Amino acid sequence: MASLISSNRSRGVKNSLAKWLITLGGISVLFTLVLIFLYLLYVVKPIFDSAQIEPKVSISLDLTTNEKVLSTGVDELQEVAYEITETGNIDFYHLKASAPEADNQFTVGDNALSMSLLSNEDFNQEKVVNVVNSFSANKLLHTTKGKTLLIQPSFYAKYANDTREIIPQVNYPLGQSSLIIDEQQTPLSQLAFAMDDERIVFVAFTEDKRLIKTSFIAEDDFSSSSDGDDVEYETIFQQIELTDDVIDEIKVTPDLSLAFIRSASTVYVYSLNDDEEVSLKATITPTLDNSDTYLTSMALLSGSSSVLLGDSSGRVSQWFEVSTESGRQFKEIRTFDANDKNSQASNAITAIYTEQYRKSFYTMTNNGMVNVFYTTSSAHLWQGKLSSAQPEAFAIAPRANGLIIIGNDPLDASNKSLQAFSVHNEHPEVTWQALWQEVWYEGYPEPDYIWQSTSGSDDFEGKFSLVPISFGTIKAALYAMLFAVPVALTAAIYTAYFMTPGMRKKVKPTIEMMEALPTVILGFLAGLWLAPLMEEYLPAIFLLFIFLPLSTLITAFAWHNLPNNWKDKLPETLAPLLLIPVMILAIYAAFSLSGVLELAFFNGDMRQYLTNDLGINFDQRNALVVGIAMGFAVIPTIFSMAEDAIFSVPGHLTSGSLALGATQWQTLVKVVLLTASPGIFSAVMMGLGRAVGETMIVLMATGNTPILDWSIFQGMRTLAANIAVEMPESEVGSSHYRILFLAAFVLFIFTFIFNTAAEFVRQRLREKYSSM
Amino acid sequence: MISISPKALATGSDTTIEKKLDLTNLTPEQVALDINKLNLFYGKKQALNNITMSIPKGQVTAFIGPSGCGKSTLLRSINRMNDLVDNCHISGEINLHGSNIYDKHVDVAELRRKVGMVFQRPNPFPKTIYENVVYGLRIMGENNRRRLDEAAEQSLRSAALWNEVKDRLHESALGLSGGQQQRLVIARAIAIQPEVLLLDEPTSALDPISTLTIEELINDLKKQFTVVIVTHNMQQAARVSDQTAFMYMGDLIEYSDTNTLFTTPLKKKTEDYITGRYG
Repeated sequence: MASLISSNRSRGVKNSLAKWLITLGGISVLFTLVLIFLYLLYVVKPIFDSAQIEPKVSISLDLTTNEKVLSTGVDELQEVAYEITETGNIDFYHLKASAPEADNQFTVGDNALSMSLLSNEDFNQEKVVNVVNSFSANKLLHTTKGKTLLIQPSFYAKYANDTREIIPQVNYPLGQSSLIIDEQQTPLSQLAFAMDDERIVFVAFTEDKRLIKTSFIAEDDFSSSSDGDDVEYETIFQQIELTDDVIDEIKVTPDLSLAFIRSASTVYVYSLNDDEEVSLKATITPTLDNSDTYLTSMALLSGSSSVLLGDSSGRVSQWFEVSTESGRQFKEIRTFDANDKNSQASNAITAIYTEQYRKSFYTMTNNGMVNVFYTTSSAHLWQGKLSSAQPEAFAIAPRANGLIIIGNDPLDASNKSLQAFSVHNEHPEVTWQALWQEVWYEGYPEPDYIWQSTSGSDDFEGKFSLVPISFGTIKAALYAMLFAVPVALTAAIYTAYFMTPGMRKKVKPTIEMMEALPTVILGFLAGLWLAPLMEEYLPAIFLLFIFLPLSTLITAFAWHNLPNNWKDKLPETLAPLLLIPVMILAIYAAFSLSGVLELAFFNGDMRQYLTNDLGINFDQRNALVVGIAMGFAVIPTIFSMAEDAIFSVPGHLTSGSLALGATQWQTLVKVVLLTASPGIFSAVMMGLGRAVGETMIVLMATGNTPILDWSIFQGMRTLAANIAVEMPESEVGSSHYRILFLAAFVLFIFTFIFNTAAEFVRQRLREKYSSM
Repeated sequence: MISISPKALATGSDTTIEKKLDLTNLTPEQVALDINKLNLFYGKKQALNNITMSIPKGQVTAFIGPSGCGKSTLLRSINRMNDLVDNCHISGEINLHGSNIYDKHVDVAELRRKVGMVFQRPNPFPKTIYENVVYGLRIMGENNRRRLDEAAEQSLRSAALWNEVKDRLHESALGLSGGQQQRLVIARAIAIQPEVLLLDEPTSALDPISTLTIEELINDLKKQFTVVIVTHNMQQAARVSDQTAFMYMGDLIEYSDTNTLFTTPLKKKTEDYITGRYG
């Protein structure tokens, strides 16, 4: 009795142990899946976050009453900010929150770093009226008497006592004396400039209403000397023919090629490339809401292909040059509404500030409302008030992760303060619409779906449309299925239903072994052997699609009609082997006829004929190559499952049908395939799932061109191949990196949808056609 | 081909039961199937030894015998279902209307239309009840809706299933009970109006009540068709058949009218079997 109990106990322990282990295994599989899913979402999520702006530091400025602040700025790490006042002083401040409030003003040694920029006797205590920014760090100070000074506030890091200290300084690239911009030295009402290493171009509107262009051409190089005293340059003065006598704003593109001159209703675009003559290139006449609306501000977007125009109704429009039938023209691409979302009132745009490296911009309206937009994705990222009234100066940090605003101190209205904000806006270019809808990129003639993540140039804008690569995935899978499904299913039917058992025992494992073939080898063969071969013998490939089935049918027919005593010489098991020489012969015939056909119908070269006469583009690595190569990878999957399904149709159903006088063929079509249909369907869906997720073959044989074209002679780029190609070169945490994760997520969803649909349909079919 | 109206067959069979046919000496009109020196081999193994017998028209003939005696094999030879078995060789003849079904020019599908078969396990197709019944007609190319409807109703009535399924003809046949499925399969077989109906242990997978229904059905069927039934159940053979053949180890041991075989068997082996000494 005792032994009986102990044996029972050990059995019970084993039983519960097994139960726990199996439960644990199942749960951990589910857990891993959920974890992968969540990790993908975790990486992807930040790209859909909207922008956030948070106040960081507020510093009271120590200024004399009513002293106006004209400009501000901050270093890259947002540790030191500065402001430039109308008296020509530049003051630097610490932004570190830890510094005592009173101590924020910068000190070197014990002295606050506040210096006068207009120390040269040229300036004679004149007041600065305007500080003009360029895309580089250079600023142009411009006084009441029409005198100008070029300065460059800069920062360098010093490491003392193992701590980093940012030390500010001011450079004078062209020296500290006033620059002569107008030949006649009249005061200037509007001024803009841009510079590169060799040239500085100024475009100005004088108080006596002349529009002038002045170029400084360096003898050597403007960047060769830091204090600039030694730089010698030649000055060219040019007069620009004027069509309007009121000019409100001037902008010069950083590449010194265009000047945008804005009046209240029109923007004139001048080409500055010619040193002899400045010609009017185009005029931009925006359609304004009504006759009372007028243009209030203008800004150049990073990359300087686009110009942004703000008007008095609170709208901003983006314009760039587009190729049209009548040459390149400026076109309104999209508009942004900067008005308060919660009120009906419209407020004029007072200023537009653009980021240095991205296509984002900030607008200021006359009620003190700040809006953040991203042009390409048409995204309205943020709206709100950062200060109670109009700020006097506004600057975006170089890395676009911070803002400096100078305005009235919120605590003490008589005083002014410098407020620093941190901006969280890492992925403004990505929105759901930009990923899945047509986007009009700069320089493109129309909105389009484009995937182009990287390029050689710095001011390149990544174009992330998931449409072409999702399309490529489906296209590759469909062409593969087009090739694989007929071959695999007919093979499965033959093997399961007609083949002798002995033959089946050899054939089935052989085809299943194909599945173990590494796809990299298939891809390699497809890309380097099949693709060039197809290009050379294109007609042969199409002939094969006719010759192979035809020769098989003819052989079968001939064999059927052969006298019995001939047939008896070959055992029935080996009869199908007869097809091998026949097929070799058919392939040989197709390839030998290829040249003849090309001569007869395609002027000697089918590829040339397709491109030149039919206008069909031909890529060497195209959907045909992928269809065949990936078809081969998918065939074993479909074959194996479909064969099992057909073979496992119960014999009594087949007998039942045959006993009713049905022929083999009728039995096959009306009973066997019907009963096996759930299995055949899952076989096809498994094949499709494999084709969608397949990476190596499409990577090596598609050419990886992200284009939207169903043509069989064009390549494609698939989600999987795209991830494999680009993941190694994407910067961790960048929009590109996160979008690749999103692509992975989309791929996951694709296979999830395919498998779910397959399982659903299979269950329905099984319910309907399940055999007993 | 001799055509006999079902009515004539029915009256004929009624009289023959009383008369007791002389099975060794039937007139050609009385014979449905004539098996002559039939030998069957599975590979090297002989499964049927020189079987010679005549199966009379419009009657129920039962094959009995212990498992593996060859009774099912003999039945399957009659509509050439053994053709599907690899390594199966046959010599001898089975004559239907005086012509050998194993002749080279015989269309097997056509033969099976004349010699229908019902299997041990109900095997309805995964289709609707209606489509199951008209399957045989459809594969013959009959697509006239009215004629199919008529045939379906007729066959289901003959198989005593009409009243149970007439309201759900277009539901799946797999929803029927085992007994109903078996009657459906019989309806399917008789829908194409065969001359001979082969039943291979038709009730072995069924419960007693379904068995009884089927047995009653067989009694009705012999009015229209020649029925050959294989059964391992001697009571069943005694209940439903007019003639009984006892087979043992591939040999036809004894073949006579049912009453005689069960009451006064001539052979010792037959007696041993029917009295339950083996089998």
